[in-house]
Amino acid sequence: MTAPRSRLLAVALWALGILAAIGITVRTHFVADLSAFLPRSPSAEQAVLLDQLRSGIAARLVLIGIEGGTPETRSGASLAYAKTLRASGLFDAVHNGDNSAFEATGKFLFEHRYLLSPAVDAQRFTVDGLRAGIDDATSLLGTPAGAAIKSVILRDPTGETVRMAESMLPTQAPKSEGGVWSSRTTPRAVLIATTHADGGDLDAQERALTLLRTSFAPYEAKGLRLLVSGSGSFAVASRAQIKSEVERLAIAGGVAIVALLLVAFGGSLRTLVTALLPVATGVLAGIATVSLVFGNVHGITLGFGTTLIGEAVDYAIYYLIQARTPPGAQPGGGAQRWLGASWPTVRLGLLTSVCGFAALLFSGFPGLAQLGVFSIAGLVGAALTTRYVFTVIAPDGAPGMGLRQRLGHAVGWCTDVLPRLRWPLVAVTVISVMTLALLPSPWRGDLSSLSPAGADKMKLDADLRADVGATDAGTLIAVSAPDEASALAQAEAIGTRLDKLIDSGAIAGYESPARVLPSPATQKARQQSLPDAETLRTRLAQATVDGPLPADRLGAFIADVQAARTQPLITRASLQGTPLAGAIDALLIAGSGDRPWRALLSLQPGAKPLDAAQLRAAIADVPAARVVAIKPELDALYARYLHEATLQALLGALAVCALLLLHLRSWRRLWRITQPVAAAVLIVLAVLSAAGVALGILHLVGLLLSVAIGSNYALFFDQIRDQQERQPPGTKLAIDNDTLASLALANLTAVISFCLLAVSSIPALYAIGEVVAPGILLSLLLSAAFISTRRG
Amino acid sequence: MQQRIDRRRLLVGLFAAATFTARAQTPAFALEQLMQLLGQVKTGEASFVEKRYVSMLERTLETSGKLTFEAPDSFMRETLKPRHERMAVVGNMVTMSVGSRSRTVPLDSVPEAAVIFEAIRGTLTGNRAALERHFAPTVSGAPARWTLELVPLMPRLRELVMSVRVSGQQAYVREVVVAMADGDRSVMTITPVIADPAASAPAR
Repeated sequence: MTAPRSRLLAVALWALGILAAIGITVRTHFVADLSAFLPRSPSAEQAVLLDQLRSGIAARLVLIGIEGGTPETRSGASLAYAKTLRASGLFDAVHNGDNSAFEATGKFLFEHRYLLSPAVDAQRFTVDGLRAGIDDATSLLGTPAGAAIKSVILRDPTGETVRMAESMLPTQAPKSEGGVWSSRTTPRAVLIATTHADGGDLDAQERALTLLRTSFAPYEAKGLRLLVSGSGSFAVASRAQIKSEVERLAIAGGVAIVALLLVAFGGSLRTLVTALLPVATGVLAGIATVSLVFGNVHGITLGFGTTLIGEAVDYAIYYLIQARTPPGAQPGGGAQRWLGASWPTVRLGLLTSVCGFAALLFSGFPGLAQLGVFSIAGLVGAALTTRYVFTVIAPDGAPGMGLRQRLGHAVGWCTDVLPRLRWPLVAVTVISVMTLALLPSPWRGDLSSLSPAGADKMKLDADLRADVGATDAGTLIAVSAPDEASALAQAEAIGTRLDKLIDSGAIAGYESPARVLPSPATQKARQQSLPDAETLRTRLAQATVDGPLPADRLGAFIADVQAARTQPLITRASLQGTPLAGAIDALLIAGSGDRPWRALLSLQPGAKPLDAAQLRAAIADVPAARVVAIKPELDALYARYLHEATLQALLGALAVCALLLLHLRSWRRLWRITQPVAAAVLIVLAVLSAAGVALGILHLVGLLLSVAIGSNYALFFDQIRDQQERQPPGTKLAIDNDTLASLALANLTAVISFCLLAVSSIPALYAIGEVVAPGILLSLLLSAAFISTRRG
Repeated sequence: MQQRIDRRRLLVGLFAAATFTARAQTPAFALEQLMQLLGQVKTGEASFVEKRYVSMLERTLETSGKLTFEAPDSFMRETLKPRHERMAVVGNMVTMSVGSRSRTVPLDSVPEAAVIFEAIRGTLTGNRAALERHFAPTVSGAPARWTLELVPLMPRLRELVMSVRVSGQQAYVREVVVAMADGDRSVMTITPVIADPAASAPAR
């Protein structure tokens, strides 16, 4: 038999396509950061949040704990370890509470005290102001706190240094023990480091983390333990976890399906290799397409992609079994027969699946869109391979029989028994609907459910954050402005409003970029309030009468004030390279192009939780300012995400129905097909809600998949039923046991691959697995029960 | 309650008698006894006058105001002269207010300040554990006139504060002398507002 040229051309094109896909795949960049699962078109508040999540200082923060040993060995290790880390150059800042490390910062602040101190104004340099300032500063002398200012009091008799320190020191300072920060709850020293690399640069993050571990070796030898947390370490760990998990899943899924195929096709290696062709094509097509469309492939997409093994192999199974030459028929005609009898159904099944996944393409979340593209490309690749390549290389299906005969009989028996269980199954469905109606909505998953970090890691992170006073789910006020000067001026305006809230006890404190870097206008005003040398000398003489400090010892003060009068103003640019750069970069985000400058003020709650409405009211007259409560905002983000996805899933389901109706041109058949699939979805939902599972976005994706795959089984049963109904009444029609066996086998492979997903340790993957595995099994059983076929 | 305190006071009396009779034979009045004695007073108010001798200043700094405390862990020092200033410690939080400015920080984040607060608060409330966490305490004298010498345990703190010497009569602190490592010194003289010790102790 010679294949027509067009068929050989199809095979050649397929081979070329495979080569191209391999070429693209080896060049593909694989990523694993969870920001792909954050939306693309957020609201203004969410934009601030995502900025922070993706590239803000929060994403570069590493929390470090040192446990074990005695307090002395811990503090000694903290001091030496921090020194090593600072010297490595991989970190912009390493804080461990050791103030001696901040000599340079102190020097900078001291030299700029007349621009930076919040106390400097015209009143400060009147006779009364000077006297009050001197009283203030000298009141600290003779106390332990005075030791630090004693050396500078003659240059800074009004205590501007103290005032700056007061305004810049955080209110939630960590406990200091042996000169370094330590936990209040656990015997452990704590440090925080800011990586130089961006939070999204996982390779660089990984290098920094490796350095953290290797540099700790000498202390580990002394019996100390290193604890590391932070979003960078989470991202690196989850990338590694996703990578190993995907490998594990691919191997386990591959082995299980190969074993099943060997059993089903009687150990024929040729059949096995053939059956795996659509699978390989599908996976390669998926990776290559995603890579071309998005520029990278997400680890989760790949993990999810392993389930494609289970789906794509279905096409091979359908073909290899259904195209088998029946006894006595002419060999070589199987392909033609299959194309006539089964391909339209398989094609319709493929189209419904594609319809379902297409819903994901329009989601505002790149991560979900990737899943959609991957699945569509993969399924189309696998189906086309079956249609155009199998018909050429295996025109008579698969020769081996294996256990298929028995499988066919078993399924045949099931199709006899299941329709009798129809009414009990309807009752189960009704009970499920009632359960769903009565139970509170199970759709309460949150964004953290996407993170593969386990509960113990989250707890360590929360503990370390509490130790260093860096609360994670806090509240920010963000203000955007066209340039640096106005961003800082706005931050100052918000600051004066927040000061009132501190006085009333509504908040405990706040951090503002304007504390480290006052707006140019403020700096200028402070500069202009500084008197000339002669005036200052006269006033000082009056202010120090009967005071503890005689004016004649304050010559250096007068000189410093004179120097400050012409000092260049501080800007964000002039802070670069100083130890304050890190502090200001965290709170003042430079604009570029059409992205505005952004100042962030983080708030510390007082005794009562923050009241967002009260905050909004307090800053209402600063129009560009926005209150961003991180936890509610993240929840809102996720709720919007879920809402959007629900809408898309419903649209997807509707599109599937429309497609079926268009193709079958029969409301009755559409109704017949939707019954088992809808019932399966409802039962799975009811069981999961009754089990108390918090359902999220990925469960929704799972439901969509259940519909997309499950409807294929219903289609086949509908096709059999339809064929029967076309026969004149009384005609005997033996149902092809092989078709039923192919359905059962296809179902089994898919269920196995989703079961593997369900035991994965990555939440995103097991969420899908725990929905789809029972969903498609039920779809098959309910299809057999509801679309009863009359047996001859 | 009433009974227990009375018994304890009796005990204190017996110890006092023992010291009186046995003289230098045994250190009968030790930290434990002093802490028990001080622990009887759960709340108190006193006025203070503080003089600070600072080498680099022309004259002695003098402030005065009042002290209040309440067991287990609240202590407030309110300076009335020369200007109004307030420092209140509750648990681990210290709030400092001058005029309209107010700042709250965790006490354990500033060990330099904590050492002085703990010395006074720990003594006033008879909190032996708090004192021994920060200091090596030495008691001398008798209940009628005792002195508690506190030397900071942490070497870093000894670089700032050489010792805190608290002296008092019975359950009342009368003087706190802080000797700074650089030779500066502050002397706080304390006068209980409630003069009659017998009336105050069982009041709660």
